[in-house]
Amino acid sequence: MVTIEQFIEQFLAAVDFQDQVELKPDTKLADLPEWDSLSALATIVLFDTEYGKVIVGPDLEKCGTVSDLYALMG
Amino acid sequence: MSQCTLRNVRFAGMATCVPKRVFHNIDDAPPQIRSERERLARNIGIYTRRLCPEWQTFSDLAFEATEKLLAELKWNKADVDALIVVTQSPDYPIPATAIILQDRLQLPQTTIAFDVNLGCSGYPFGLHLVGSMIAAGAIKKGLVLVGDRSGDERDPLFSDAGTATALEFDANAPPMHFDLNSDGSGYRAIILPVGGHREPVHMSHLIQHRDEGGYWRCSMDLILDGPAVLSFSTQRVPPAVEDLLNHVGMSKDEIDYFIFHQANRMINETIRKKLKLPEEKVPSTLRDLGNTSGASLPVTMTARLHEILSQGKHRLLLCGFGIGLSWGSAIVDVDTAVFPALIEA
Repeated sequence: MVTIEQFIEQFLAAVDFQDQVELKPDTKLADLPEWDSLSALATIVLFDTEYGKVIVGPDLEKCGTVSDLYALMG
Repeated sequence: MSQCTLRNVRFAGMATCVPKRVFHNIDDAPPQIRSERERLARNIGIYTRRLCPEWQTFSDLAFEATEKLLAELKWNKADVDALIVVTQSPDYPIPATAIILQDRLQLPQTTIAFDVNLGCSGYPFGLHLVGSMIAAGAIKKGLVLVGDRSGDERDPLFSDAGTATALEFDANAPPMHFDLNSDGSGYRAIILPVGGHREPVHMSHLIQHRDEGGYWRCSMDLILDGPAVLSFSTQRVPPAVEDLLNHVGMSKDEIDYFIFHQANRMINETIRKKLKLPEEKVPSTLRDLGNTSGASLPVTMTARLHEILSQGKHRLLLCGFGIGLSWGSAIVDVDTAVFPALIEA
């Protein structure tokens, strides 16, 4: 089972932000300046290829925080 | 359609033409979005694109490609029975660009000429269409012209190209295998929403606003739902490729090259990894030639493999996918075909 700390590390590698940010489980996605459509694509690919979990755009729209994303792993 | 096989159809040759004009996704972007563009280019894998100047259309590129191909094939123009254009960038909404090209290319008036409205998935469908005419004995020689002028300075994805492929009747040709699919429930994933009869152009559609990059936008522009396209591509394409291989009873090792539509690096790498294909068997033109829509299979075959494909026998798996939604694959043996180097016009 991937821990939330490991998830955050893999998530940051996937979204490949230009400017470094520190993420905590309760960090709001809307507060991240580079949480954009490219990040959404990268997150969908991360879940599919690393966790074998298919998520779609509307799943991401429902997520407010980093821990909401982590919870999508189910 | 389930999978099908066409016999007696020879892949005779291919030519590809791109505009001379090179657009740099990072250096040519407005300074205020350059940092964002660096990240975008890195992730979509597209650094330079080819864009038509104002005066140039897709059909100009396809014309150059066809003239070169016919000359190198040494085909008599009077022998061309069909000219099928697969594009979403016609010269005019009507009439069909293929018919205009029949005259411009000085092909006989007996030529069957019409357009097919398909985008990124179009190449295997075009091969299947002309291949079916040949396999049925209806025609002997046919041309498939595939491509688009979908590039735009504002958006970093699309790039322009026109291509021509020649197919001919040959009783000794190896079979071509196809798997072609459509899912209209996803029609909104990539759409030009205005200008057809559902939503005719009205003055209000022309009102422009500036986006954060300073580019002018209006409701006439293409809408692309990135997450929906990504999910579609990465979920549907790998099983479709596996299905075709299973149908034909071939292993991946029996395919020399897998040519995928060049969508973007994230989509293409996900598909490649899911199918467990080695990088050297999956050539890419994203970095320098961008997403050339329906032309991306011919663009990649020409730019990366033209020398290899003009000598000896090679088995290709070709796979296009995108707007529609539509996706199709073909297994084609190319044996000493005519393959001129990439043309710039």
